[in-house]
Amino acid sequence: MATHKAFTQEWLDAWKQKIAGSQEYKEIAKEWEGSVGLICNADPSKSIPNPVYLFTDYWHGDVRDFLVCDEAKVQTAKFIMTGDYARWKQVAKKELDATKALMQGKLKLKGDLTYVVRNVKTINKVIDLLTEVQTVWPDDV
Amino acid sequence: MQNGYAGKFLQVDLTGGVCSSFTIQEERLKKFIGGSSLAASLYLERFNLDADPLSAENPLMLMNGPLVGSGFPGSSRFAMAAKSPQTGIWGEAACGGNFGPELKRAGYDGIVITGKSPHPVILSITNNSAEISSAAYCWGKDIYETTDILKAPDKNIKVLAIGPAGENRVIFSAIANDKAHFIGRTGLGAVMGSKNLKAITARGNQAPGKANEEKYKEIFKAAIAEIKNSAFAESLHLMGSDAAMDLGMMTGDVPIKNWTVGEDFELSAKLSGPTLTETYLTKAHACSNCPVACKRVVAVKDGPFRTEEGPGPEYETCCTFGTMIMNSDLAAVIKANELCNRYGMDTISAGATIAVVMELYEKGIISLEAADHLDLAWGNMEAVMALLGKIARREGFGDILARGSVSAATHFGAGALDSVAHVKGLDLPMHDPRGFHGMGLAYMMSNRGACHLQHAAMGMEQGMVSWPQLFEMKEDYDGKTSQGKAQLVFDSENYGILGNSLSLCHYLLYCLKPETVRDAFNAITGFDFGFKDLLACGARDWTLKRGINNLLGITVKDDVLPKKILTVLTEGAAEGSVPDMKLLRDEYYAIRGLTTEGVVSKEKLLELGLPELKEKLYP
Ligand code: SF4
Repeated sequence: MATHKAFTQEWLDAWKQKIAGSQEYKEIAKEWEGSVGLICNADPSKSIPNPVYLFTDYWHGDVRDFLVCDEAKVQTAKFIMTGDYARWKQVAKKELDATKALMQGKLKLKGDLTYVVRNVKTINKVIDLLTEVQTVWPDDV
Repeated sequence: MQNGYAGKFLQVDLTGGVCSSFTIQEERLKKFIGGSSLAASLYLERFNLDADPLSAENPLMLMNGPLVGSGFPGSSRFAMAAKSPQTGIWGEAACGGNFGPELKRAGYDGIVITGKSPHPVILSITNNSAEISSAAYCWGKDIYETTDILKAPDKNIKVLAIGPAGENRVIFSAIANDKAHFIGRTGLGAVMGSKNLKAITARGNQAPGKANEEKYKEIFKAAIAEIKNSAFAESLHLMGSDAAMDLGMMTGDVPIKNWTVGEDFELSAKLSGPTLTETYLTKAHACSNCPVACKRVVAVKDGPFRTEEGPGPEYETCCTFGTMIMNSDLAAVIKANELCNRYGMDTISAGATIAVVMELYEKGIISLEAADHLDLAWGNMEAVMALLGKIARREGFGDILARGSVSAATHFGAGALDSVAHVKGLDLPMHDPRGFHGMGLAYMMSNRGACHLQHAAMGMEQGMVSWPQLFEMKEDYDGKTSQGKAQLVFDSENYGILGNSLSLCHYLLYCLKPETVRDAFNAITGFDFGFKDLLACGARDWTLKRGINNLLGITVKDDVLPKKILTVLTEGAAEGSVPDMKLLRDEYYAIRGLTTEGVVSKEKLLELGLPELKEKLYP
């Protein structure tokens, strides 16, 4: 199976494909509307010299834009989740539950928390599908 | 009043109609701090443990902690304690609201009530004095009516009252502070009712002082910043405790159909915090000095379950009157909550008992005739409303249920007991230990019977908190593993109990850094406690209450999970998983210093500075 370097456009495309191909996701996410911006804080010690900005967009079970972007674009997202590299890596590997990470303050959310809680199943499914993408992490290279 | 404590306790003898006061030495306060911990130390020293829970001899105690009245976020809680009529062992419950701080402003750290009044009375406490007067004008009235009557002369009077359930000694009856905050568990409303004490009021104007005001101000600012920064606090503010419903359904935490079904997302979506917020919420409400404001104020404007604007249901109530009895109508949950509030009944035990009889009805063990012709089909909320009234008034079938789930099931035959999920006679709270084995152990070992608030196991096991400064802990635990959970439960009890002794709401315990809690305690009291000292107070409390329970007959045979929880679910996140009761218990006993019989060892008693208890347990 092909591997992808984390936080690259190819990696995002592979993730998007996994989501788009999941019938279960379509069912779970049929109510979800809107984009999620992901920000990974810079961590030069882990080969992340600058913050990483990702824009992911979901609409009633479908997936729309999945882009590596700039800060301005990420700020247009309906929800923005920010965290350190180590936390994102743990979340993406399912070593840390995204919802727990939010509650513990390990990830920060900007946006309607009530909506996120209501749709926690959708979020978990999206993360589950990310774990299926063979990922090479910058600090593991 | 320069150290968080008011400096004296009120002693009330209802038989003689006499009020006096007493003091407690600082050394004892340093050992037990406050809340139910202090109550347990007084109980062991002064009272007859063999007394019937509903007799004049059984004391009813109310205790503040040192943080109460300080204005520190979440520090409004006070505890009440007595030998429980529901379990026959140590009973206690705590609530937020505003009564604790007002009692301290009136000059008292706590109240010890003994005896029984010959007629219904009210205890009124105002600035260093107390008075007993007739309650003839409000006996028989519900809690909302009673509270309105007692607050009529001055809305700043704070009220603790029982309703008809407490008057009638329903064994899961509750005590309400200003209609919205409940001393819910272990049936202390019945103890109050057995003393013919309808209500206690408090009014005071003495602000408690702090040992180090300047330091406290700094810590207070840090605490507010931590709360503002907490997504957990934000979720509580936006959705109340019922924010837990959606996530709980995903993780296998939510009990369904009297613990027999593992997953039902449609049901949880209709009963969840976000749904409550979008439909019936009129505003958020806070306990005294709490910026989180997790309490819900709700109104159902039309339909068969119309209610006036009033206190809304917590997560536990949305389960007991929702998922547990297969009711998806949130308006009906709100109505059932209002009825329990007015009658004065614990919504957990009331709903759990109804879930049990619905199951027995489905199995044909209870007939339509036996149920006074109420159709107890799952989700029949008209029947539930009628039943709540019958329980509170102890009418017919309701009288059987008023004795609690264990007694009611026994009434319908020994086999019916398998339908009851309880530990030591207390119905399980609404968190399923099959998804979280640590919670199972915490239920087994909690000193008041199955409890989710005598520890912080939920926060730790479900990953809502991270406290590496206190003890070694993992970032993430596998809920469906029993191995190693004893240490988690031990640690979580010591810190959770400490929060109770300080009178700090557990939600705030979850939001605040342990350093902030420790520093606030030291700045207010002038003590110089480190984490080790604080956790030792938690351990001492647990051991003291366990020793009291040992004296009341509790042994290893009582540290068991109910059959419901040892039965696997066939769907959902907890599918196929049950706690390994023996492994959990064996590991825990070793850590806690219990003998194989479940009795506190002599060594442990001496290590924790409990020589009086050692004398009684090992005469
Ligand atoms: S978090 Fe809620 S229950 Fe706790 S003190 Fe604040 S308002 Fe009361």
